[in-house]
Amino acid sequence: MKKSGFFSKLYVILCFAFFYFPILITVIFSFNSSKSLSRFTGFSLRWYEALIKNTDIMNAVYVSITIAVLATVISTFLGTITAIGLSHSKKIIRETILTMNDIPILNPDIVTAIGWMLLFSSLGFKKGYVTMLLAHIGFCTPFVLTTVYPKVRELDPNLAEAAMDLGATPYEALRKVILPILKPGIFAGALLAFTMSFDDFVISYFVTGNGVKNISIVAYNMSKRINPTINALSALVVAVIAVILACMKLVPRISARREKKRRAAALASGKGGGDYTEEGSKHHLRRIAAAAAVCLFMWVFVLYLRGRSGTGETAQLRVYNAGEYVDPDLISEFEEEYGCKIIYETFESNEMMYTKLQAGDKYDILVPSDYMVERLVQEDYLQPIDWSLLSNADNLDPSVMGLETDPDNTYSVPYFWGNVGILYDKNVVSSEDLSEGWNLLMDTRYAGNLYMYDSERDSFMVALKALGYSMNTTDENEIRAAYDWLIRQRDEMDPIYAGDDVIDNMIAGNKALAVVYSGDAAYIMQENENLGYYAPEEGTNEWCDYMVITKDCKNTDLAHEFIDYFLREDVALRNTQYVGYTSAIKSVREQAAAEDFAGIDAYIPRTGYNNDEVFRYQDRTVRKLFAQLWTMVKSK
Amino acid sequence: MKHFRRLSTPYLIWCLLFILVPFVLIFLYAFTTTGNPVRTLHFTLSNFAKINDPAYIKVFVKSLGLGALTTAICLVLGYPLAYIISRQEEARQNALIMAVTVPTWINMLLRTYAWMNLLSDNGIINGFLKFLGIDPVTMMYTSFSVIIGMICNFMPFMVISIHTSLEKMDYSLIEAAMDLGATPAQTFTKVILRLSMPGVLNGVVIVFLMAISSFMIPKLLGGGQYMLIGNLIEQQFISVGDWNFGSAVSLILAVIILLLMRLMKKMDVQREDG
Amino acid sequence: MENLIELRNLTKNYNDQQVLRGINLVIHQNEFLTLLGPSGCGKTTTLRIIGGFEEQSSGEVLFDGVDISAVPPYKREVNTVFQHYALFPHLNVFDNVAFGLNVRKEDKTIVKSKVERMLSLVGLAGFGPRDVSRLSGGQQQRVAIARALVNEPKVLLLDEPLGALDAKLRKEMQMELKKIQKEVGITFIFVTHDQEEALSMSDTVVVMNEGQIQQIGTPIDIYNEPENRFVANFIGESNIVDGIMKKDYLVSFDGVDFECVDKGFPENEPVDVVIRPEDLDIVKPEDGKLQGEVKSVVFKGVHYEITVAAERRCYKVHTTDYSAPGTQVGLTLTPDDIHVMWKMEY
Repeated sequence: MKKSGFFSKLYVILCFAFFYFPILITVIFSFNSSKSLSRFTGFSLRWYEALIKNTDIMNAVYVSITIAVLATVISTFLGTITAIGLSHSKKIIRETILTMNDIPILNPDIVTAIGWMLLFSSLGFKKGYVTMLLAHIGFCTPFVLTTVYPKVRELDPNLAEAAMDLGATPYEALRKVILPILKPGIFAGALLAFTMSFDDFVISYFVTGNGVKNISIVAYNMSKRINPTINALSALVVAVIAVILACMKLVPRISARREKKRRAAALASGKGGGDYTEEGSKHHLRRIAAAAAVCLFMWVFVLYLRGRSGTGETAQLRVYNAGEYVDPDLISEFEEEYGCKIIYETFESNEMMYTKLQAGDKYDILVPSDYMVERLVQEDYLQPIDWSLLSNADNLDPSVMGLETDPDNTYSVPYFWGNVGILYDKNVVSSEDLSEGWNLLMDTRYAGNLYMYDSERDSFMVALKALGYSMNTTDENEIRAAYDWLIRQRDEMDPIYAGDDVIDNMIAGNKALAVVYSGDAAYIMQENENLGYYAPEEGTNEWCDYMVITKDCKNTDLAHEFIDYFLREDVALRNTQYVGYTSAIKSVREQAAAEDFAGIDAYIPRTGYNNDEVFRYQDRTVRKLFAQLWTMVKSK
Repeated sequence: MKHFRRLSTPYLIWCLLFILVPFVLIFLYAFTTTGNPVRTLHFTLSNFAKINDPAYIKVFVKSLGLGALTTAICLVLGYPLAYIISRQEEARQNALIMAVTVPTWINMLLRTYAWMNLLSDNGIINGFLKFLGIDPVTMMYTSFSVIIGMICNFMPFMVISIHTSLEKMDYSLIEAAMDLGATPAQTFTKVILRLSMPGVLNGVVIVFLMAISSFMIPKLLGGGQYMLIGNLIEQQFISVGDWNFGSAVSLILAVIILLLMRLMKKMDVQREDG
Repeated sequence: MENLIELRNLTKNYNDQQVLRGINLVIHQNEFLTLLGPSGCGKTTTLRIIGGFEEQSSGEVLFDGVDISAVPPYKREVNTVFQHYALFPHLNVFDNVAFGLNVRKEDKTIVKSKVERMLSLVGLAGFGPRDVSRLSGGQQQRVAIARALVNEPKVLLLDEPLGALDAKLRKEMQMELKKIQKEVGITFIFVTHDQEEALSMSDTVVVMNEGQIQQIGTPIDIYNEPENRFVANFIGESNIVDGIMKKDYLVSFDGVDFECVDKGFPENEPVDVVIRPEDLDIVKPEDGKLQGEVKSVVFKGVHYEITVAAERRCYKVHTTDYSAPGTQVGLTLTPDDIHVMWKMEY
């Protein structure tokens, strides 16, 4: 029965194939020479080069590994001693601890995450490495405790007594008897803790700050654009794990061989037998030591890489920008030029940024969109811009100045801008169809062949504009009409409500139509020449993202220099080339449109069109109504 | 023994600060209206009343159904794997269990991205089908893709949990059952399955919990129309900023989970009695 | 013999349950003392208080005249052999035995020689590298004893150590334990519920019931002169009969007057009369003081156990002579065979 039959072998192989297939694909495509994630065009190491150069990712690897190791060690220690203590505690204390212990396990991560974010803010902790570590210990320990506690209960209570009876102090009894016997359970708990910590995204994201990021956070921010560096990162993680495993397997084997030799020698010289050791326990210890050594090595290696990026007692600027919304080289060049340190963090949406601000996180410079600027001004988060400090202010395109959300640009300096339109496959959609405007999205010929944008405001904008209303309407009847439009579209057209994955999907040509931002459209059209972009006549959302300075900013001179730096023509050009969004610098926009984005009309959004509007800040009740209706649209 | 009693004190303090306080904060949010609940206490049940909306109830039902389906598939697929592994020699068992654990170390997001590339309309699998002359199949943004993603991420936890209880099982019990005339099927249902029940229940709880509260996998593999409780909570906390309603939803989720766990424990006890 | 341990008025409460109700006991050097009683009588609790694993609710534990109540177990010169041995599963035989010496950081060579000497004392020479979980019950038992004795304690506590062994092995270990105690020359405090074990090994037997000491004495005293009905019942088999002490040296039961060797009771005092089954003789009906019919006969190996139904009760008789069931017989006994006790106060 020990020998498994053909079918069980086959089954095991199939299961492992299922587990490892995506990992294998990732590793293979990390060597792809092109950007494509589905067609292998040739072998290249370019993504690894990009990975090594990207200090942000290397820092994240360092943070992930050290946090996982520290959190594992500490939570294993805490969970184990608690489990041992609990078995001797009074019932009431035991029940209390076990009940509280279940809360983080039972609650969805996001709730736990928000709870800790609130806690750390109210305690006035500086968000970053320490808060992330504390949170990881916080959610790992319950898993260790639930793993180890049953093992403790199985233990013969006389064992501890026997040890003390023989002269061991309670501490010695713990170390020499209880812990060695519990080792398999503790090991299982530690493994679980490591897994949980290494893989965590949600909790880490909310409790961290000041530029401390782990692999998950970086991976999440990178998901906006296809960036095969992600694959290289996965492959690197696979390699790290493989090395750790190999060491855990190899080192004990080598030392076991050595040990065997030593024993044989000892036996030969007549001193054999009874050492105060036991084969199995040493085995485990060695494995753990080996793993620790590998981690230490990695740590030193990454520290070295980090060291090159340079830290010190220099001026700092905390910048909070959307993901993939800047050329990272520009940031490091600014650091060199001005001898300062930029702590750069990214968010997924304006609302995410606002949530962090609300929780008390502090930044110097933010890059929010128009309506969010309006909200931040209303809620007194921002300080006015001193335009006299911005020597390059004249470069700014007058057509993106003075929008309704901040009419005099008292608080905001334009960064990128654009509008929202329809991206279409020229081979599928004829140019006559475009005259349908937004109602093209209701044309049943394209049913099941389109992406909407998964954002309530953008989707309602489409519906409202299609119906000829203002997208900033607060009239409930109009909103309800738009809701009906969206429901009808959902039922007749079967659209996919995609997020940023629409970019990859449209590049791959998966569907014929998509609602996208002009900047994304420009980027996609660079990669897939079959696509066209147009903004419907009914009008659309004209938007602008701004650089703003918060009230928390102390070093306002440096902040202004940072903003001014991005208004410089050479900088703005490189930035727009990298990001693909339309520059707010007039000369740069013209140059990029003529060279880099030649023939891509999405790069030059129309301006001054009467039906186009800017999103305005919505009050709470309208926002809630939108959210509720949007939930109803999405929950079929 | 009184000597070790003090060992649990540090964690007790930790729990009070890091678990109870945040939980109370969430609790306060769920029962209050707008604003900071600590400064202005306006108790209300309106957050809970709001959930009685067909849209939200649909979200709950869909989440619970999907969670149950995912858990069932993980159980059906994971049990044989755990059983086969538990029948191997010890060294081999350890290696195989390690092999089940390792994929979970590779970031969940990174693995999900890999599935996106595999399953998309012009993705790797469809490319392969095209190569074979078969018409491409739409897999992304369906229940299929969400469930595949969840199984790939959560099944290891099921396997490890079941394996833990199978591994301890005395093989002579199976021989005894056979000896007493039980058919292989009877041996399985009456002896093996019953003895591994704690592991099965534990695995079911873990996978179910993860499945109904996850929001990244449905968001990436299911698209925006795949709205589950996790997404609803995320939406309330992040994009709407209605922390009160978000807290209420998560409290209700916690209560549902607690009730389900009670039910399972009861089933387990009855099984032992019966 | 010198006093080594003295228990003074020891009580112990668990929640509201009183498990020890005032234990007073003196234990001497080099004594083999057994705490004997049914389960729940408090014997193990007493042992655990001496070992330092439990704290008494009131009373004192004196060791060499010093109160050691506050001394933790690892500082007491006392070692324990636990009921299920509590061997450390992660250590081999050698390391189990060496544990106490190692935590005291004794020199390796000394540890080695001491452990090896102790292993050969318990008959396990050469077993050092073995895995404890692969040993037989008897061998585990020996490891547990060696592990305790290697620390050269002044007192060895043994908590029902033979309970898990089969009958034959148990007999062997009893002899072995007695031998070891003689060889190392220290005090053994032994807890058991098996009266035969207690009688065959001990210098002193302490019979306990319901948290109280019933009788302290040598095995012979305990057997022959039980102080009350409980002891008489618990130790060996007895016929216990209600009687009246008519006067000194004369007791009456079952309507017959018997001469006896007891005195000092008030006249016509109701008493318990103990007659051991082996002291009764079966004779012809006309020769007996009591008459009856043989009810049943059970062969017990060395003797027959015969139940005789007399006029008022059944008597148990142990004899080597066979009598067929249904036979009319008489029972006789000499004054030495009658033991008169005070009625127990309830």
